[in-house]
Amino acid sequence: MHYLTDIILIALGAALVNNFVLYYFVGICPFIGVSRRIDMAVGMGFAVTFVISIAALLSWTITTFILMPGAPVSKYIAGLFMPAEAAAKVDLTILSYVVYIFAIASSVQFVEMYVRKFYPSLYRSFGVFLPLITTNCAILFACLIIFSQIVGVDNPADAWDLGKSLTLAVFGGIGFTIAITIMAGIREELELCDIPKPLRGAAITLIVASVLAMAFMGFTGVDSGLKKALTPAPVQTEQGAPK
Amino acid sequence: MEPMAPSTLERLKHNYILQAWLVLMLALFFGASLAGVHLKLGPRIEQNKINETRKRIPELILGSAQVEELTKEGKSLIVEPHTVSVEKDGRKVFYTIYEAKYPDGKLAGWVAKSSGQGYADKIELLVGFSPSIETITGIFILDQKETPGLGNKIITVDWRQQFSNIKTVQPIQVTKTGAKDPNQIDAITGATISSRSVTRIVNTTVNDLRGPLTAMAANVKGK
Amino acid sequence: MAVAPTPAERFIQGILPENPVYRQLLGLCPTLAVTNGLKAAMTMAGAVAFVLFCANIVTSMIRHLLKPHLRIVIFTLIIATFVTITDRFLAAYMYDMSKRLGPYIPLIIVNCIIICRCEVCASRQSVFTAGADALGQATGYALALASIASVREILGTGTLFGMQVLPTAWPNWVIMILPPGAFMTLGLLLGAVNWFEQRRSEKANSKRG
Repeated sequence: MHYLTDIILIALGAALVNNFVLYYFVGICPFIGVSRRIDMAVGMGFAVTFVISIAALLSWTITTFILMPGAPVSKYIAGLFMPAEAAAKVDLTILSYVVYIFAIASSVQFVEMYVRKFYPSLYRSFGVFLPLITTNCAILFACLIIFSQIVGVDNPADAWDLGKSLTLAVFGGIGFTIAITIMAGIREELELCDIPKPLRGAAITLIVASVLAMAFMGFTGVDSGLKKALTPAPVQTEQGAPK
Repeated sequence: MEPMAPSTLERLKHNYILQAWLVLMLALFFGASLAGVHLKLGPRIEQNKINETRKRIPELILGSAQVEELTKEGKSLIVEPHTVSVEKDGRKVFYTIYEAKYPDGKLAGWVAKSSGQGYADKIELLVGFSPSIETITGIFILDQKETPGLGNKIITVDWRQQFSNIKTVQPIQVTKTGAKDPNQIDAITGATISSRSVTRIVNTTVNDLRGPLTAMAANVKGK
Repeated sequence: MAVAPTPAERFIQGILPENPVYRQLLGLCPTLAVTNGLKAAMTMAGAVAFVLFCANIVTSMIRHLLKPHLRIVIFTLIIATFVTITDRFLAAYMYDMSKRLGPYIPLIIVNCIIICRCEVCASRQSVFTAGADALGQATGYALALASIASVREILGTGTLFGMQVLPTAWPNWVIMILPPGAFMTLGLLLGAVNWFEQRRSEKANSKRG
């Protein structure tokens, strides 16, 4: 029950409350560049969601099993060269950024090959944007959050497992899709407006994004309220229940 | 497409090997430099992380005036970390406890690191206890993402001051209309939920750790 | 193809005409995220300058060994290494700032500015030109960040670099240090820069015509 609560909160948080685009400012480049038409926006959103999930899976696995201090694979290999105690402390996290970016690049390659083979028409319509997803901040950002929740916690019992990491990744991508689709809808309407020349293009998109960000700020506190509603009331003690 | 002449094939293969060679050399070189950076800066970063919490502890337990006196005498508190696990609703929750002793071995107090859900995101804080766990000596907010200008004010000394010298026998209550009872504190105007969250975290910490800490204090006295 | 730009030209171009944020619209992610205070913004600008400079120099030194299909991999490797070094350095010597900038320092790896400069300039021109290009772009980036950060910090908290600039009676426009303020400030400043550029090119056209 606790696990399900945690998953729901992570999902809500990543998609709405702490929206990747409108709160964390990652994924802005495609947000401004690709949001002219709704169908392209939705396609981009789904592609990003797909790539984030694969990249999160790869980065969680690599971090938990190879990079973090005390990880099984590095402990085993180091154990062949040094005493077991020192092997348990081998810390490869210095390589994490390099490893993540290569994991992301390979995920994008994999997705590109998959789309080219099985959805050729889709590939033709927006295949040129797929390699650009490698430099999409949102994917590396999701990997970094997962990293901080595995390596940066005080006690190992709190470290995120695969389920929570994938939830963050998938729902972060869904939040990105929601934001970019709303923006595309607004921009389609803006085509009919008479915008002052200096503001055309990226500037008006950013101003509209600021209003969208204000709207999404309304979601603040939804996850903490939900957590309070879902958590059973604290146990009574002799001196009276804490509030 | 016509089949490639063998010499072209050889040249191509040679090229790929040359390419992989460059990437591998670069990878080795950069890997070595990263390892060097890690060896040199790693300990310093660890120390920074530990200091971030440790340097708050004397002030939290004794108050800044007494800490100044101690430093003038050239003495400082000895801080020892422990991990305490508490059973809650069928699962284990871990707390990091810091035990602070005077140089002569007498117990100065305890500091617990705790966290909980605030208005916007998680709030991490330190709660200081007297040696007998009867009084809260103060709190310090380590990490928060509350609204700047409103919920943000939970980090200010003025607001945190209210948590100094509160007895733990009753849970702390938050009021908006001016604290009258000794176990009441004022909420920040416009940031009721942040104030309530901090109070809830402190109360939960007191509730969870009252038993284990009293046992640990008895152990220390017994020594 | 036209004559390749000289080092001096690369440097000047980077500051305003080819400003990475205002003209090329690259690297917007950290621009919006860290500009709620001038100190954080300048630290980020310094980090980007260091990575950009080192990556450009190293890429330029090995430019003759690069082949088309592997160059992106090599750029990424170089950039990721320097970003890791920068991140560790900040965590060791400026721990509070490192915590404040958080995940945005590693995000320099996917910052389009650096890959773009490596691709456009460093992989084709000499070390000196690449260095000048890096310095120019970095200065332009720092200027852009400073302009946005000053507006947001002054209006949002009345301080600049931590020092009180506006009278304390100023009601802080808290929205400016929150996400909407970031978008709004960048959008309006971008509009202003576009307006200046349009007037400049109109004047140049009318002089020519």
